[in-house]
Formats: sequence, structure tokens, C-alpha cells
Amino acid sequence: MVVIAVTGKGGTGKTVVSALLINFLSRNHSLLAVDADPDSNLPDALGVQPRKTLGEIREVFQVSRDDMGTMNKEQWLEGKIYGEAITETDAYDLLVMGRPEGEGCYCFANSLLRGVLRRLMRHYDVVVIDTEAGLEHFSRRTISSADYIVVVTDMSKKGLATAKRIKELSKELKLNFKKIFLLGNRIVNNFGEEEIKRFADEEGIELLDLLPYSEEVVNLDLRGEPITKLDESSEYARKVLKIANKLVG
Amino acid sequence: MVDRKKIEFPEDVKKVESVGEEAEFPFDISPMYEGERIRKGEMYVELGGTEQPGFELVMALSPDEVEDMKVTVVGPDLEEMEEGKAYPYGMIYYVAGSQVETDLEPVIERRNHDFQNYLEGYMHLNQRYDIWIRIGKSSVKKGLKSLVQIAKATMMLFKNELPFIEKIEAVYITDADLVTKVLNEVAMRIYEERDARVEALHDEDVDEFYSCTLCQSFAPTNVCVVSPDRPSLCGAISWFDGRAAAKVDPEGPNRAIPKGELIDPIGGEYSGVNEFAKEESGGEYERVKLHSFFEYPHTSCGCFEVIGFYMPEVDGIGWVHRGYPEPAPNGLPFSTMAGQTGGGKQIAGFLGVGISYFRSKKFIQADGGWYRVVWMPKELKDRISKYIPDDVRDKIATEEDARTIDELKEFLKKVDHPVVKGVVRPVDGKKVTDGWVEEEEEEEVVEEEKPAEAVQPTPQPQMAQAVQYPPTQLPVQLPQLPQLQLPAQSAGGVKLVIKDAKIYIDKIVIKKPEEKKGGK
Repeated sequence: MVVIAVTGKGGTGKTVVSALLINFLSRNHSLLAVDADPDSNLPDALGVQPRKTLGEIREVFQVSRDDMGTMNKEQWLEGKIYGEAITETDAYDLLVMGRPEGEGCYCFANSLLRGVLRRLMRHYDVVVIDTEAGLEHFSRRTISSADYIVVVTDMSKKGLATAKRIKELSKELKLNFKKIFLLGNRIVNNFGEEEIKRFADEEGIELLDLLPYSEEVVNLDLRGEPITKLDESSEYARKVLKIANKLVG
Repeated sequence: MVDRKKIEFPEDVKKVESVGEEAEFPFDISPMYEGERIRKGEMYVELGGTEQPGFELVMALSPDEVEDMKVTVVGPDLEEMEEGKAYPYGMIYYVAGSQVETDLEPVIERRNHDFQNYLEGYMHLNQRYDIWIRIGKSSVKKGLKSLVQIAKATMMLFKNELPFIEKIEAVYITDADLVTKVLNEVAMRIYEERDARVEALHDEDVDEFYSCTLCQSFAPTNVCVVSPDRPSLCGAISWFDGRAAAKVDPEGPNRAIPKGELIDPIGGEYSGVNEFAKEESGGEYERVKLHSFFEYPHTSCGCFEVIGFYMPEVDGIGWVHRGYPEPAPNGLPFSTMAGQTGGGKQIAGFLGVGISYFRSKKFIQADGGWYRVVWMPKELKDRISKYIPDDVRDKIATEEDARTIDELKEFLKKVDHPVVKGVVRPVDGKKVTDGWVEEEEEEEVVEEEKPAEAVQPTPQPQMAQAVQYPPTQLPVQLPQLPQLQLPAQSAGGVKLVIKDAKIYIDKIVIKKPEEKKGGK
């Protein structure tokens, strides 16, 4: 199992990158796509109609647990996740984490979820997680680890500052990742290229690649069409395919 | 009780029978396969699930009734099924052994999920009447032909992993009419019977309680003790959940607590629980009573769903849940009380509980149970209304009846709530409060000749004074009051006379008189 977490400041294009990676990697591998960013729209980018979110299942659990009698709650949650939360497409499975928990105590629910997700994930060849910069699901250990962290940044100071924070955070969280990568996105000039390269050197983060600005990507996004429609012979798509092959040999 | 006997099937239904152990299986068997998800595209057939009825059931029978390692498949077998379709599925196991009793049926039944998930290419989800199975195409390619193979592998695991099972026999049903018939006529009745037994299971019926320390990261000294009559404060963990978790991971956050000696049957005090509490709280607490509000109450983590608060003015207990934003009649909202009580403290006068504790037959029984309860928000009351005894239900006020102590007093008087004349606790018929003192009467509290002692409430089993302290051996823990030292010159003793007093202290500031500098 290879777990790839794609993260970065909001708006840098991490969901586009995640969707393309999922699209490419699911052709040769059994794959679980996880949308762990409540603000993102990975299902839209993939062109998939999602089912219930994990958060919704957890809320149902919180209100119905008193009436479960001797029923096993972990089995109950597992059944709901497998049966109602995972969206099966022809090529891969999709799990949307959904909104964070509400008021009250979620210690037990989360402890059960951790067990279910751990057992679920290990049966896929590849897990791609689109996650926000705060890495919330990692800090709560609902997702226990990642092999590769890909931090997407655009040509902005904030994007790079977030990348730095993510690097520190992922060390603090002891994620035991094998490697953290930087991926430049929407690079339009040499200045941007140089700045990002310099940053990668200074921070000791391997620069995966620099993706160009792509009008086609922008237009698909604007029209609300799935990013997976992107022409595969385009420079953008070819570069992401190369990344996919590098991460999962 | 539903009669436990083998199910009889009509003669004309197709059956496959097989006895004895299987030498080889065409699939791997290992815990590694737990969690394996068989996707729609990889699926040979689906059994049960959302489209078809399904159930699993374990029945304890006497050894002479069970034919060991026998499988009967009633209805079409795997080979006769059409790829990609869903079929009804009933799995029945007859088990026998000198230690196998009806009570163990659900425990054994639950393991069907574990064991069947050890089988490669076989996905088992859910429980009871909800089961959902998918069998993978790859297993069929490898040589899986019959449900007999599945049943034999599962029975082998049952016997290996649960050696107290001496004999086991399986009947798998795929005939649609028969699955529905057995589900409705036998299985559902047994599930209902089990649930009824759960309601009837009490602290005295078990040897072990379970701890929960999942919340210790927030409340390091909190020790949740989960017993049949007392679920966890967060409301999530019942005694059954604790038992299930402790079996899977005995050193995990839910551990078994041997009850030990019963010290106080009414308060719910056990030597084993005390020892455990002492150990887990780092020596902070030495005694815990499970069903007492005032005396060595259970610690409160911060996760609790509801907080109980004592109101001395009416000598009753109010409860407020997390979702109620307004202040309770004592003037404090949930959040403020939770802030004072949370963090794993044992505080007489406040108690955090889970909503399901209101269902308990032992609900604060040491202090009068429901007859001591005077107020709760309407939303909470409606939710648990059926667990409140009929003769006191309408006497418990909600925000619609009273929002302040004065309004509450008036309401309780009007409905003649037990606290007005004194609460008799149902558990042993003992009168635990004396009721309100007539207001005309002048009540004197005289503390005589108490030289220079810290002002401490004396332990009072009953409440006689106008200043009512809960009957407790713990000092009433107002948020960390410093002990009041009277000046040394009063060594001859003082006489304190408090008449008809209501004391409400928001804050006490005690300062040493500052020496005036340069003032002489």
C-alpha cells in the first residue's frame, strides 16, 4: 500500500493534482481516493456523485448509539462506511470525510473509525488523500500515516509559507512519511520558477516538478467539468502522469 | 424464552449436506484479510445486503442435538447462482459445550464477522438481520464452489479460536421464503429476547466492569467506570462495548475491572473499582461510588452529555444537557458548570453523566433517584421521558415551568414534589431528605464552642438546616475555597448563629492587611 497525501494552501490547485493522480493511478492499481478537505470538491473534479460523508455517518452514530443494545458498534460503523459512504466507480473507490465533528464527545466514535479506516486502507494498492493544509485527519489520527506528502504551491509567498508550515507540522505529527515533496503549480515565468527552486533548496524539500499554467485546466474548472477530461497529451497532464509513475513505481 | 431447537425444513427443498473436516480450502485464511473490500466489479455474488433478506444466528443446544462439523445448505448453492446477482442468506450455527450457555450466544455470534473476514475473497459486514456478504470472482476461479466450504472454514475457526465450543453445526439457507420465515419466526424473536435481557442486566449480574481512558488526554485523572447500570459519561460506551473492546485489546483504553468486594450496595461502591480509580487517577481519588451524586461521585471528564447540579434552595437536583444554551435555574449555563466540573475532578454537587444513564434502574439511587430530580430542559426531558417514573414525571419542571430558583420553588410546591416534604429513596425506603422547613419557623443553626476551626460542613446524613449541605463526607467543594481561619484571639470560642440564611457567594477575596508604609 502506498499512501499519498496531496496538500497545500487552499486554491493552489491540489485538488486538480489529486484528481489527475487518481485518474492515472487507478488504471493499473486498486485505489482509494479520500477527500479529506471539507472545503474542496474532489468529487466534482473527478466527476463523481458522492454518497454520504464519513462525518454524516458519524453524526448518525452519535444519535442512534443509545438504541444499539448489544449490537457491536464498530461493526455498525464499518457496515455504514462500506455500505453508505464509499462510492464505487468503475475504476476506484471514493471516500469523502466531510465536515468536522460537532459538539460533544467523539473520542469513542473516532477511536472506532480509526480502526475501520486502517483495516480498509491496507487492502488498496494506492490511497490518494486530498487534504487541507492543517492535516486535521492526520493530527486526529483518523488517518494514521502517509508515505508521501506532496505539497502543492503556486507562485505566491503565502503558498510557500504554507508549504513550510506543513513541513514542520508533518514532522511534529510523526507521520513517518518516507518523503515530502514540493510541487509548483501555475508557473508562468522564470522568476516564479527560480523562487520556488530556491525555496525547495533552502528548506531541503525535493522539488517534484513545476506545472505550467494551463488554460484548459482553468476552463474545465470554470465550466464545472471534471478535470479528468483534460487532454492527456497536454503538457500539464503528461507532467502529472510522470509524477504518478515516480510516486508509485 | 424462545425455545432453542433445531429448525426443521420441508422435505421438498433442495439440500446439500456434508459432515467432517475439510482437508483443504481453495482460499487463504488469515486475519490479514480483515477489512478486505470486494468491489462491485470483482464480485461474484452478493448475499443479504440491501436488496435481499439476511441474518446470522447462533443457538446453544445440548451436545446430543448437535452433529459436529456438519453443514447443511438449504436452497441454491454458489454454483447455481448467477454472477453479479444478490441472494437471500441465513447463517445458523448450533453450538454445544459444557460451558456453552444461552448467554454466550451473542458473544459467539459476533465472532462470525471476524472469522468470515479471515477468508480471502469473502467480505462480511454488519450483524444480526443486517448482514451483507460479497463473494469475489477470484475465489470462485480458484475453486470455491459451495457454501459448504465457507461453513467448514468458519466452523474450523470457531473451534480453534473458541475452544469452549465442543461441537458446532452449520445451516446456511439461501431459499428466499425460508430465509424470511426463519428470520421472522425464530431469529427476530431471539434478538428481541436478547435486547430485553440487556435491559434486565445489572451491576450485580456481572463480575467485571470496564474502564475507559480514551479521554485521559483531556482529563488525566478521569476514570470512566462502565457498568451495566452506568454507561460512560460521553454516552458512547455501554458495558457491552467495554467488554467487546477489552476482548480485542486487553491493554487498550477499555480494560476489565474486577468488581471485588461490594462495599456499598446502594451507592454502588466496590473494592475493585476503588483500587482501579486510585491507580488510574495517580492516587488522586481513592473511592468512587457509581450511583451516588453526593458521596464520592464518579469523576467527570469533560465529554459528558449532561451535567447534574445540586440546588440547596430546593434540596433537589437539576440536569442540563450540552445542547441547552440558556442558564439553568441556578443561574449557570451548561458550559460554565462543565468548565468547573470537567477535567477529571470529583466534585460533590455536580455530576457529569451520559444521557443513557437516565435509563438506568440505579440512576443516582443513593440520593433518591428520580424523586430527587426537580428540573431539566424540555428537550432532554422529552427524550428520556419514558424512563421517568409515572408518579414524578409531571412534577419535574422544565424551562417552561421555571427559569429561576424562585419560580422553581413555587412550581415544586404547587405540584407537591417529593423534595418539598422529603424524599424517600425507593431502593430501601429510607428517607434521605427532610423536606423544606416551613418558612415561618425560625430555624437556628448553632455551632457551639468551635474554637478556631476551619468552617467545614459537618457530615450530615440528612438535611435539617436551612443551610443545606449535601450529605457527604467530602467537604463540599465550592471551587477551591481556601480554609477560613478565624483570628487567633478568638481562641475562647465563638458562637455562630445563622438564621433563615441563604448564602450565595460569588467570590471571596481574602487578603492579609497590608502594612502601611511610611504611614506612621
